[in-house]
Amino acid sequence: MTGWLTTLLILIPLAGAFVIAVVPWPAWWAGSLAALTSLIEIGLWITSASKFHFGDASLQQSQRASWFTDLHVQWHVGQYAFSVWLVGMTAIVMAACVIYGWWVGRTRARAYFALMLVLTSAVVGVFTAQDLLLFYAFFEAMLIPLYVLIGVWGGAGRMRATLTFVIYTVVGSLLMLASVIAYGLHEGTFDLTQLPQRSSTWLFLGFVIAFAIKAPLFPFHGWLPSAYREAPPEVAAVLSGVISKAGLYGLLRIAIPKFASVAYDWRIVFLVLASISLVYGSLLAFRAPDFRGVVMYSSLAQSGLIVLGLFSLNDLGFDGAVLQMVNHALISSSLFLIAGMVERRTSTGELRLLGGMARKRPLLATVLMTTGVIALAVPLSTSFAGEFLILAGALQQQWIWAVIGAAAIVLAAMYMLRLISTVLHQDVGSAVPEGALDLRVGELAVVVPLVLCLIALSAWPNLISSHSFGPPSASIQLESGLVASK
Amino acid sequence: MRLAAWICLLLPLASTVGITLAGTRISRRFAGYLSTVTTMGAFAAAVFDFVALSHGQADDRQHVTTSWTWLSAGPYHFGMSLLIDPLSVMMMLIVAGVGSLIVAYSVGYMDGEDEERRYFAYMSLFVFSMLLLVQGGNLLLLLAGWGMVGLSSYLLIGFYQDRASAIAAAKKAFVMNAFGDATMALALFLLILHTGGLDFVTVFANAPRGGTVANLIALGLLGGAAAKSAQLPLHTWLPDAMEGPTPVSALIHAATMVTAGVYLIARTHILFENAWFIQDLAAGIGAATLLMAGLIALVQVDIKRVIAYSTMSQIGYMFMAVGLGAYPNGMFHLMTHAFFKALLFMGAGLAIHAVAGEQDIRKLSGVGKLMPQTKWLFLIGSLALVGIPPFAGFFSKDGIIAAGLTHGWYGELLTLAGLIGAFLTGIYTFRLFFIVFTGEPSAFAREHFHAHHGKEGPLSMRWTVGVLGVLSTVGGFLQFGTAWHPLTDWLAPVAAPIAEASGTQEAVASILAVALGLAGIGVAWFIYGAKRAAAPAAPRLLEHKFYWDELYNWLWYHPADLIARGLDALVERPLIAGSLNAVTGGFGLGSRELGRAQTGLVRTYALALAGGVAILAVVFLSVR
Repeated sequence: MTGWLTTLLILIPLAGAFVIAVVPWPAWWAGSLAALTSLIEIGLWITSASKFHFGDASLQQSQRASWFTDLHVQWHVGQYAFSVWLVGMTAIVMAACVIYGWWVGRTRARAYFALMLVLTSAVVGVFTAQDLLLFYAFFEAMLIPLYVLIGVWGGAGRMRATLTFVIYTVVGSLLMLASVIAYGLHEGTFDLTQLPQRSSTWLFLGFVIAFAIKAPLFPFHGWLPSAYREAPPEVAAVLSGVISKAGLYGLLRIAIPKFASVAYDWRIVFLVLASISLVYGSLLAFRAPDFRGVVMYSSLAQSGLIVLGLFSLNDLGFDGAVLQMVNHALISSSLFLIAGMVERRTSTGELRLLGGMARKRPLLATVLMTTGVIALAVPLSTSFAGEFLILAGALQQQWIWAVIGAAAIVLAAMYMLRLISTVLHQDVGSAVPEGALDLRVGELAVVVPLVLCLIALSAWPNLISSHSFGPPSASIQLESGLVASK
Repeated sequence: MRLAAWICLLLPLASTVGITLAGTRISRRFAGYLSTVTTMGAFAAAVFDFVALSHGQADDRQHVTTSWTWLSAGPYHFGMSLLIDPLSVMMMLIVAGVGSLIVAYSVGYMDGEDEERRYFAYMSLFVFSMLLLVQGGNLLLLLAGWGMVGLSSYLLIGFYQDRASAIAAAKKAFVMNAFGDATMALALFLLILHTGGLDFVTVFANAPRGGTVANLIALGLLGGAAAKSAQLPLHTWLPDAMEGPTPVSALIHAATMVTAGVYLIARTHILFENAWFIQDLAAGIGAATLLMAGLIALVQVDIKRVIAYSTMSQIGYMFMAVGLGAYPNGMFHLMTHAFFKALLFMGAGLAIHAVAGEQDIRKLSGVGKLMPQTKWLFLIGSLALVGIPPFAGFFSKDGIIAAGLTHGWYGELLTLAGLIGAFLTGIYTFRLFFIVFTGEPSAFAREHFHAHHGKEGPLSMRWTVGVLGVLSTVGGFLQFGTAWHPLTDWLAPVAAPIAEASGTQEAVASILAVALGLAGIGVAWFIYGAKRAAAPAAPRLLEHKFYWDELYNWLWYHPADLIARGLDALVERPLIAGSLNAVTGGFGLGSRELGRAQTGLVRTYALALAGGVAILAVVFLSVR
């Protein structure tokens, strides 16, 4: 019975998208219907999470139906404990972004909201698919709505941004597709819960490169600058908050458990790339000339941090990585939305034209300050908890990774405080109009829930860190390949 | 007792949340009262805990209360737990006690400021953070409080948001403390690896003794302590932090937060005793800092900066004490210092407040004649600082100087540094006193002086300074050499000293220190009291504060900036984005060619499909 929950989590947004696209609603109605759908999705997730047995390590709420019998492809969806958190984070962030789009009043509303909901459905699909081909289908399905969302509603350089984004991801996808097919046909099944572990380096790399592009990881982040700058702010929020997690999830669900021995042999390579991403992203964030640039490169750095945790290959690293994925989704989507709110008032994100916005705008100041200090992982915040676990895990792998990570703590403080003070403090920037308003109710309704989630998690990060893997600890489960235990 | 500990911790947090949520619905004045009352409530809870603890058995004075597991991963669990023991209760009393006096003082000081509510929300946040730091039941929570006090310090230093210098100072303080947080976090990671947890009991029982790891752990903790307490070489943020409102300087940058490093070493003294070299290093750092800060204080012309350098110097004494293993002496000096340094800052605040916010001692000169009460209170604070009996500093400082005599030649060197420091303290303290509070008022002071209803300040400012004046006078009698030492006994279960000076050593140290302090006062009187010499031009080295700021710019900021620019110009643009130009160009060409054969729509997908099929073919061939 509960198996339907996972399927519904995928189908409800799709159904919403269908209804919105087919019926010729006025724009406002399309938006409100989309907002309603995304709230229903959150409700559904709460139901699903409340019925979930976190003490149980096995796949739950799963549903299986044959699809292509001769290829052994199935509709097989279900959730592990960590999937629950990733699905929840998707539902919450997507709802915030949909509602923001509604509040802003995007043109061509039916197409816009239908695409956002299709995207929701695809991402939830990625996090719950338990069949390799189904996973691949969802992974690719994310691309189409994003392509259109950036290409139609994006900024001036949107066409180029779309093209680079598509090329990068398609290259990754093809490599992954080759791996998927070779892996599945060789084993005679595509079922992720039954696929045995392999030690083929080439298959591993095929998967990992696709995931590294999505995450993104240095040097595969070339699509990042133009896509994040040209996309509408709420789409950039989805990209950095949710879509990037699909890549990291791929590492956690497929690359590491299914290729445990290869992952172990290649761990140094990925720890090095992760460290480079972390330091490189932090440094560029410190120099970035615009609001989105800072958030974007800090996202690259955070991806690096999470990969550092994953390839530490121990409990601290895995638990920390899952926690940090959720944290970062909430943080970076809030920051991109705030960037959008600032840009609406000043028509620019360039930091040298901004400044002094805290004066007479206490709500904006409070929201940006709170998100910013959580983003720089001030101790006692949930991102501190995630970072602490990840780096403690990295030290157990080898001390050098923790030292690099610790250096990045200082850099994070530098770029985040720079962002906060150049936007909020000092002299009023030339692009800031005298009468620029404080945050409106609609904007607060979008961003405050995200910040409240972060604050609640800060009081109890253990909600995620100890409820992401069942009793056999994370490393034991992943080493044995996350196969279904009957 | 456990409930009281939680109340003590959470009341200030409730005040922050309340003020933030209420926004403009409450008056500015009410925000101030709310903040004051909650801090006093925290103090009451701390007193309750103190009484409860002192009524218990001496061997039953360590209570840990865990409310929930805050964080866990695999076999590691970190609880949201509070520790109630003699050391934490002592710190709670100081933090909440001095804190409530200073918050009450702020009600008068900040009256009429633009954003009073924000100020009091931050102040309450600070008190919460500091209490978390001292009450935290494991090292992770200690680190959490550690970072939170850094955050609230950042917010309060940068309180005047439109002042570029204040924002720069706030950022500097935060980044430098983030560096300390990072080294401390590394030490904690090592402890997790080697002891399997972060609870004080587990850690102290299983910590490695001697060897590289023990040294690294202690070094990491020392890095955090030095950054927070503005000790060499991580001290440069403290003078700049004087950009914040004066009560903030009194609370955070004198009485409580900056002494957290001393608390940390006393709390984790077992880890330092396992690495004697690092503990000696801590003492050496303290001695070097107290000398350097004492020298720089001689030439500063900003009243708050003089006191800031003096704070740095006094914390140097405390570091020396805990580095030598004389933990009760260090904690004792921490307490008396909280009294008299808060008194000095708040006395300075009264003067600054009365003279239109001016902080330059040359302009403030002679203001004492206009404000006799403040003058006498400031004199008490100054005498306590120099360590003249019977004021508080005498009792606490001399114990530290004496402790050096128990530690061989190294200790004697430290004692010597401490004695020279006492002489310097006498000079710079009374240089300040004679210039600002004696003689005829300067033209500037006369012109700008305005009394509040004929008084020297609002009532809320005067009574709090008065209480601190009393505490600075009698606070020292808590302990006197070897004859009377209830504080050492109280702290014995947590931090028993490993260095205890004999009565003779105490007496020798006291006599020398007092004599040198008096000599310093004499020198100051000769130059600034009798001759009324103007503050002379400072030697270049001192004026540039030994070039530390420049050093850090060249060591960290410029390299980071340069590398970031270089990466942007040499890697990000040409390689990451540039390679893509080549790729997009290629794809563009390819798709144009392919497009001729097709309808031309969705070209990239067509190409993708073609590429996919090609690869698939290869894979099929190789796998089958």
